Amino acid sequence: MTSESKTTSWVLVALAWLLVGIPLAWGIYRTLRSAIVLFR
Amino acid sequence: MPGLLAKDRIIAPSGYNRWLVPPAALAIHLSIGMAYGFSVFWLPLSRDGGWKVSTLGVMYSLFFIFLGSSAAIFGRWVEREGPRKAGFVAALCWGGGFFISALGIYWHQIALLWLGSGVIGGCGLGLGYISPVSTLIKWFPDRRGMATGMAIMGFGGGAMIGSPLADILMRHYATPAGPGVWQTFVTLGVIYTIPMLCGAFGYRLPPPGWQPTGWTPPPPTQRAMITTRDVHVQDAWKTPQFWLLFVVLCMNVSAGIGVIGMASPMLQEVFGGKLIGAAGALKDLTPDQRAQVATIAAGFAALLSLFNIAGRIFWASLSDFLGRKRTYFIFFTLGIVLYALAPSAGKMGSVALFVGIFCVILTMYGGGFATIPAYIADLFGTRFVGAIHGRILLAWSLAGVLGPQLVNNIREYQIDHGVPAAQAYNTVMYILAGMLVIGFFANLAVRPVAERYYMSEEELVRS
Repeated sequence: MTSESKTTSWVLVALAWLLVGIPLAWGIYRTLRSAIVLFR
Repeated sequence: MPGLLAKDRIIAPSGYNRWLVPPAALAIHLSIGMAYGFSVFWLPLSRDGGWKVSTLGVMYSLFFIFLGSSAAIFGRWVEREGPRKAGFVAALCWGGGFFISALGIYWHQIALLWLGSGVIGGCGLGLGYISPVSTLIKWFPDRRGMATGMAIMGFGGGAMIGSPLADILMRHYATPAGPGVWQTFVTLGVIYTIPMLCGAFGYRLPPPGWQPTGWTPPPPTQRAMITTRDVHVQDAWKTPQFWLLFVVLCMNVSAGIGVIGMASPMLQEVFGGKLIGAAGALKDLTPDQRAQVATIAAGFAALLSLFNIAGRIFWASLSDFLGRKRTYFIFFTLGIVLYALAPSAGKMGSVALFVGIFCVILTMYGGGFATIPAYIADLFGTRFVGAIHGRILLAWSLAGVLGPQLVNNIREYQIDHGVPAAQAYNTVMYILAGMLVIGFFANLAVRPVAERYYMSEEELVRS
């Protein structure tokens, strides 16, 4: 069997990634904000 | 209900997109990754509850011990029952642990706090951590490192979300009567249970014989050390390769954990006033200057956590091209050089070089975690990779105790014997470099598993 990604919607895939990506991006942003003092 | 969680029920239909599996794994790993961020509760709990920070800190030892133990004990069960059931139980343990801990805080019972988040939550950590490993490796036979790296990156990044979230919640719930910690625990219990359950129900297994379109397994060669056969979990620990990987992980993690634990005080004590353009060592600064230095050191710790998660996806993905042994060769060689250079950077007074050295070291700490599942799959096959990974994670438990103990004791010994605080870390660095030398030789000794340990066709069918 070699079939792949023919029936699953890419919208669903993008949505799934957004659901985990948004909190992660928020966490990274908050951490970057804390880290920035090191470069001031 | 058991039917809903059964392994047979989650076989993906034809045409299922494998890129839906990593977000499911990330949902679980980002949730359990909050374990790293628990220190956000120590200060409010010590102020309000009267508990010492060292007493509360026992939680970290419990996390490491129960994560490793549960992964080792239940790894075989996870392989047998499938990732959905494992993820489901992990969600109940991790989320439920928060509720029990909330009761512990409310009733002022430290034992309940330890039992809830430390013991029961720790078991959730172990089950949640290993739940997607085997599944991801089966979905991404062409990019094993990248696939597991994505999930394990989540574990490193969980505290980045959890710590500020907990802080926001505590501010929200704080009243003149209390800092709102138990209410925060209840809320986090709900918040973490939901995405973990979504992740567990999002897991799908590839149909038997599935392969990515256009991909054919590379021919097995001695050089590549990627087997197409399988070693049973009961036999894996009898092989020298199992123990070599155990040492590799233990040494890499011990050194990294040691650095994480001492990052903030180390930067402050090594550079003191130089961090804010003032003269003098840390002890000579005014309270106001010390507060400024502490803020910068907290920024350093935050920067390290970013490099820790970046390293997980970067090195694990790179290992798909370099090979696992070569990737660990880089970790240990570069690590030894960098640990040995760190005292010189401190002596030179170069903050940028010092910070840069530790940022690279932390990428390799994270990379070590993220690359080990693919290394195990390469050597032992994919059939029991989750269970074998679970057992090797005991190295993490050991390292979680060994690394910080070693660093703290050596530093205190130095200071007790008259070494200035700024130089007390030099010996620590050389000892950590020595630990990486042990890891280097262990990695160098890794060879393909001997023929007698592989399962026969008959054994594969029976298992």
